[in-house]
Amino acid sequence: MSVLQLWLNLGLNTLSLASLLAMLTVGLTLIFGIMRIMNFAHGAMYMFGAYVGISAAQWAGNFWAGLLFAALSAAAVGAIFESGLLRHLYKRDASSFLLITFGLSLVLTESTRLGWGSNSRDVQLPEALAGVVLVMDEPFPLYRVFLIGFGLTALGILTIVILKSRLGLLIRSISQNAEMTQALGVNVGTIRTLTFAVGCGFAGLGGFLAVPLITGYIGMGSSAIIESFVIVMIGGMGSFLGSAVGSLLVATTQSFGNFYFPDLSLVVTYLLMIGVLLYRPGGLFGEEE
Amino acid sequence: MKYAVPIVAMLAAAPFALQSYQVTLLTEILIFALFAMSLDVQMGYARLFSFGHVLPYGVGAYACAFALLAGWPLPIAIAAAVLVATLLSIPIGWLSTRASGVAFAMLTLAFAQLGYAIVFKWNTLTGGSDGLTGFARNAGPFGFDGFVSRDGFFWLVLIVVFAMYWLARGFMNSAMGRAIVGVRENERRASAIGYVPRTLRIVAFVLSGALAGMAGALHAGFLLFVSPEILHWTLSGHVIIAVVLGGTGTLIGPMIGAALIVLAHHQLSAVTDSWPLVMGLLFIIVVIAAPKGLWGIKASLAAKISQRRAPPAGEKHAAS
Repeated sequence: MSVLQLWLNLGLNTLSLASLLAMLTVGLTLIFGIMRIMNFAHGAMYMFGAYVGISAAQWAGNFWAGLLFAALSAAAVGAIFESGLLRHLYKRDASSFLLITFGLSLVLTESTRLGWGSNSRDVQLPEALAGVVLVMDEPFPLYRVFLIGFGLTALGILTIVILKSRLGLLIRSISQNAEMTQALGVNVGTIRTLTFAVGCGFAGLGGFLAVPLITGYIGMGSSAIIESFVIVMIGGMGSFLGSAVGSLLVATTQSFGNFYFPDLSLVVTYLLMIGVLLYRPGGLFGEEE
Repeated sequence: MKYAVPIVAMLAAAPFALQSYQVTLLTEILIFALFAMSLDVQMGYARLFSFGHVLPYGVGAYACAFALLAGWPLPIAIAAAVLVATLLSIPIGWLSTRASGVAFAMLTLAFAQLGYAIVFKWNTLTGGSDGLTGFARNAGPFGFDGFVSRDGFFWLVLIVVFAMYWLARGFMNSAMGRAIVGVRENERRASAIGYVPRTLRIVAFVLSGALAGMAGALHAGFLLFVSPEILHWTLSGHVIIAVVLGGTGTLIGPMIGAALIVLAHHQLSAVTDSWPLVMGLLFIIVVIAAPKGLWGIKASLAAKISQRRAPPAGEKHAAS
């Protein structure tokens, strides 16, 4: 393999990983940006979505059914958490939300373990996604190409909804001034529940899409949450552009790192974060506090 | 503090009355209690929600293991471990306190993960995922070996934990300790008086790290085994649960919370595999219903009772 082919391969890997990471972190950013809640249960949602998706895909014999159920189940659990618990606590400070959602992550993780057991699980790729494509005469997994396309589409739709639609306008106005928005006759509670559910739905979607690469296991949420916190810290909390750029940076470190310095790639990821924070404590695109 | 002497005396007598595994369990409780108390120095008193408190704990444990492997006496190994944890906490405290609130929590988490990744990957030094074994509680200077046995080590832990509680209490009642609480309560006023909030936060962070390093060193001396597991962030989560359960902002509350968690773990894991589920639910209930924890409930009950018993004092307060 020539250097050019290798770099092209690693570059495509980076893009597919980045699109997965962006789907994971966009929900975290959405929820934090609108509601000022740093959702510690996000990783557990990711894992939960993956498990429900795997079961749904097996039951229906269809990968796409798994995809749908992964997103819907995580969104439903998110809606339950928000409307049953979090909405009664908006007077509390940000740190107590970190504690409560940390408790929720334990509950969700252990409930999943109770329901599905501790074994890891896999999912059958549909034939349309199972093959390889030739990129400059080198084989590259088709599934990773699909990930790039799917991620870009999903994130693109979310961006358009938030920036162009009336719902997006309301969501943005709630993040600016919830009381004033409420006074204008908007049902703020419902929109917050919806926002939380959509954020969690993206986590579930990301979890299921990650299964063909990493196989599903109970601990996948606890590594994902750390990874997404690192990305959010690099990009800046609450910034969509930040979560995209952060995902791209972390994915680059990981895919190139795993090839050139496999033992150090994880360490380099954390060093990258520390370096960015030394330079800008609020993250690359965050507001200075 | 008025119960401290009888409690310590009772604990000190425990090895004569209890079975071997119960002494072991008590040792484990005391070490976890010290760990929880150390976290509360920054979490309760300085309101720094660290999700990376395993870092000084784990580093202390590894440092103690290395020192014991090198043949150093146990007390010196513990002292060295505390030194290492303290020195490590200074730059990390300086860096982390550049952020505040949730960002601070995530930064500490990431630093702890960095430590975990290094320990996990650096096979030649740390033994990687297998960890370190093959060390013993070496006798002290002049061949003193009173703490080498199981009971002797329990007494050493008891003395250390009580001494650290006493020291931390003294510090929190000192001018600097009060200033740290002052910054927590009203940062603007504290800086108007002339305190530098960030410096005080770093002091609390480093002190807390030193105590955690000591708990970690005791952990290594207790199990005579260390592995990357003690640097995994889930342990940070458990110690946070202990602190919140017992009551933040008090040194004794987190110790009680820690004891409850170790006991609950032992009792529940015999019955069900999903004790984290029970713990998670309990934790959520406490955070929502009793933000000051179990010790806080006790304190407010005691205040109500004493008010009822002494109405004249209450009236006087109401009048003034």
